[in-house]
Amino acid sequence: MGAEWIAPVVVLAVVLPLLAALAIGVGYLLGGNHGEAGERGTSRLALSASGLSLLGLLGLDLQALLAGATPGQVVLGEWLVVGDYRLLLSFTLDPLGLAMGTLVALIAFLTLRFSVNYLHREAGFQRFFLVMLLFNTAMLLIVCAGSAWLMFVGWELAGVSSYLLIAYSFERPAAALNATRAFVTNRVGDAGFLLALFLAFYWFGSAEWPALLGGASGLESLAAGLLAGGFLVAALAKSAQLPFAPWIARALEGPTPSSAIFYGSLMVHAGVYLLIRLEPLFMQVPALSALLVLLGVLSALYGLLGAQVQSDIKSALMFATTAQVGLMFIACGLGWYELASWHLLAHASWRALQFLGAPSILQQVSQPPRPLPEWLRRRRGIYHAARERFWLENLSDGLLVRPTLQLAEEVERFDTRVVNRLIGRMESADTVSSLNEWERRQHGGGGTGGIGTGHGVAGHGMEWLASRLAWLEENLILRLGGEGLQGMIGRVGRQAQLLEQLLERPRYLWLMVMATFVVII
Amino acid sequence: MLEPLTSAGELPLLSLMLLGLPLAALLIWAADAAWARWVALWAVLLELLLAGTLLLGFDNTLGGFQFVERAQWIPTLHIHYLLGVDGISLLFLPLTLLLFLGAILLSWNSVRTMPQLYYTLLLLLLTTTLGIFTALDTMLFFLFWELSLIPAYFLISLWGIGPQRRFAATSYTLHMFVGGVPLLFGFVLLALGHGEATSQFDYPALLSGTLSVELQGTVFLLLLLGFAVKTAIFPLHTWLPTVVSEGPIALSAILLGLKLGAYGLLRFAVPLAPQAAQEYHWLLAGMGVFGILYGALLALAQSNLRGMLAFSSISHVGLVLLGLAAFSIEGVQGALFQLLNFTVISGGMMLIAGMLHQRLGSTEMLQLGGVANTMPLLAALFFLFGLASMGIPGTNGFPAELLLIFSALKSHTGAGLAALFGVVLGAGYLLAYYRRAFYGPLSHRVVATAPDLLRRELWLLTLFAVIILAGGLYPVLVLDTSRVAAEAWLNALVR
Repeated sequence: MGAEWIAPVVVLAVVLPLLAALAIGVGYLLGGNHGEAGERGTSRLALSASGLSLLGLLGLDLQALLAGATPGQVVLGEWLVVGDYRLLLSFTLDPLGLAMGTLVALIAFLTLRFSVNYLHREAGFQRFFLVMLLFNTAMLLIVCAGSAWLMFVGWELAGVSSYLLIAYSFERPAAALNATRAFVTNRVGDAGFLLALFLAFYWFGSAEWPALLGGASGLESLAAGLLAGGFLVAALAKSAQLPFAPWIARALEGPTPSSAIFYGSLMVHAGVYLLIRLEPLFMQVPALSALLVLLGVLSALYGLLGAQVQSDIKSALMFATTAQVGLMFIACGLGWYELASWHLLAHASWRALQFLGAPSILQQVSQPPRPLPEWLRRRRGIYHAARERFWLENLSDGLLVRPTLQLAEEVERFDTRVVNRLIGRMESADTVSSLNEWERRQHGGGGTGGIGTGHGVAGHGMEWLASRLAWLEENLILRLGGEGLQGMIGRVGRQAQLLEQLLERPRYLWLMVMATFVVII
Repeated sequence: MLEPLTSAGELPLLSLMLLGLPLAALLIWAADAAWARWVALWAVLLELLLAGTLLLGFDNTLGGFQFVERAQWIPTLHIHYLLGVDGISLLFLPLTLLLFLGAILLSWNSVRTMPQLYYTLLLLLLTTTLGIFTALDTMLFFLFWELSLIPAYFLISLWGIGPQRRFAATSYTLHMFVGGVPLLFGFVLLALGHGEATSQFDYPALLSGTLSVELQGTVFLLLLLGFAVKTAIFPLHTWLPTVVSEGPIALSAILLGLKLGAYGLLRFAVPLAPQAAQEYHWLLAGMGVFGILYGALLALAQSNLRGMLAFSSISHVGLVLLGLAAFSIEGVQGALFQLLNFTVISGGMMLIAGMLHQRLGSTEMLQLGGVANTMPLLAALFFLFGLASMGIPGTNGFPAELLLIFSALKSHTGAGLAALFGVVLGAGYLLAYYRRAFYGPLSHRVVATAPDLLRRELWLLTLFAVIILAGGLYPVLVLDTSRVAAEAWLNALVR
């Protein structure tokens, strides 16, 4: 214990891959490492950075073994201090953090080595290595971070690198769409993480793991539930558990090594790792633990059934991964955190191997894909549901994505038709957009003719007032009781009906509920 | 008659900055038209040197204003020529200059009609903008504020890229006048209601003065209205998308990069009427949260990059207002940090939009597609700027947005939750546009034959990228400069 070299070594181990990524990026900007000629330098740089990072972590392991104790919390200094918010740069090198860190560095190094041959003569060779190195740092930050905020940094960077690798062959529209979808889904989890971060600062004045976990025991169950709930949303999204599960099936667009390291082996376990880190917090909220078990069971079933009906090897492996991670969630929910950590370490290793070996297996095995099991063939309903991923995506599309987009369109219409016209914009003010509107104009009189024209907001206001008064005079007073009044009532009725219809749509109901919440809180 | 300048240092640096630019503008007319851009470029580079001197000479452990220059201007009304910078305004100077550097480099080969007039107007706009950041007399500030309209009007109406540029120019000017009138009334009320026999336009003196609470309410609302127009707060925001889609892109980048309205709120409206500001915190927060969601939804519905950037900037400014309304140190530091960030992030993205427009003749989603195939560097840098705009760690957007969201969650929890929703939407509209325009197969010949970034564009954007990363990795750089000023700002409110 107490060796001064621990802090610099851990920093180097985490930062070296990032520096290598930067170097590759700068090299590309300056035009030094393009094409096949640049492959050698790129891969050497990547491998040496990743290898040194692995060596550093192994050195830390050795030191811990010799000293008989892990270094624990290593605080380097302050990153940002504003008011009550002190964001420290620190690393947690307890047995869990060190073990996971070493595993991450090892798998990342091996995968990079594998990719040197696998991506040979690919157009995006440099880009691939750059993003993989970025991910290497991100993942090390997730597992070694000494505080929730530093973990969040890794969390986000992992999300970005995941996006970039899903969209690796971006000229294919499907890849680009899936990447966007995966990232936006993950953003929901990130919002939960941010909320939890804030609560940690608010209640404990710190996001350091020891302070956070120590303070958690003093919290009321509702407060602890809120805090744990924020983290749980983040964990569910990152580990692709229900209800966020479907994004990961879309994430396999990237090159196989990246699928292996992101969705087979490392990133998919980040959520479980977060839960294990937060063990004391979750143990305090039995309700959330029960929820963990429930979601774990559902995800495991989802993965199990989904895997049965896949016809390609990567998708089948992906669903199996979801099922395994579901099992880890169950273990966490039942309080068997140690079991979950062992499961995590073992699963990460063997799934990486399976994914990396998948292309070779396909080449060497020429059998037709395995037929469906008998019991599933008889239950067509389940089969169909599994094929369609239990319509989860359609559900989230229908409930969240589409209403938001429609709302966006309606706000756009409101902005151009109402606000713009009120404030004064040249176009569309004098044009008739539809036959309906033209008819209404013919019918309803109105119009600006004859009264005079004004300019600017005040001018338009006066003009409007004058024309309305004229209209009132003409239609109501001169032709009282006639067609004018009736027409007007009809129009008012139509407008009211339109308003009613709008309010009946669920998204407005949502909006009103949300607005109420905003006001109340 | 002018009294001699009483400056703190040897040289009246700020006056030099303000005077140098009109002189350079004169020089433009003395030289050949082909040299206009070079004169403008060198003028801005020299100004950057001056700004660098300011940065080096600035002592951020001291409160109050530094490099102060004072001279009588209109003695009967007690209006002074009073300049100075503090931790709040200092960093805006170099960043404004950088943004104008970008504007000049963007126009380098594309402005062929009347280049002398164009660069003269650009330099005059720069002068007034620097004046807005350095003026410490409210009337002097107002003068710069209104003077900036003239070059902006001509830039939009003469070099706009849309068919309705004339209308956009008129609309912009009218909106700014609508905002200018309450601003003037507010400043006059402040000067008269100050309690002393003489009128008072001196900003530092006004800060330490006391204003009756009733008057404060009026003053605050007047100033709020005036600055809200410039900030493009609903429903007075329509000029921004109009100008951005019709005006010249260099000017759009300047308008999006410099949120002068929000700066005005931070500098004048809140500190000069502190009690009223705290009383009306709900108004600020309401405008903020509404702006976040309204802007984000509209950005989601845009098919043109310029429109999307305009509305996303409305959304981002909403978060800044929300942070301001918290009246906490993390709120004001975050707001200031984010305002500084906009110059490189929003300004930078708009500059890239301009580069795209020069190559392809459009920034409409349907006219693009597969840009990353032929312009990988441009696409990569746009993505980096986009990450900063989403507040991803490693970019300067992260610490600023983190502080703002924390302060909002603490002071207005519901609004803070809505801001978190805005975070999700923010990723949605940016990546949706990126997917349609930058990813996918090449489907248009112009995109397939367009060249990647030219050397000067690459250097410019790399410079912006370095600032983005430096601010993100080492935020103390920015926050330490403004710390003392921000704490004083807050203490004055609590007092």
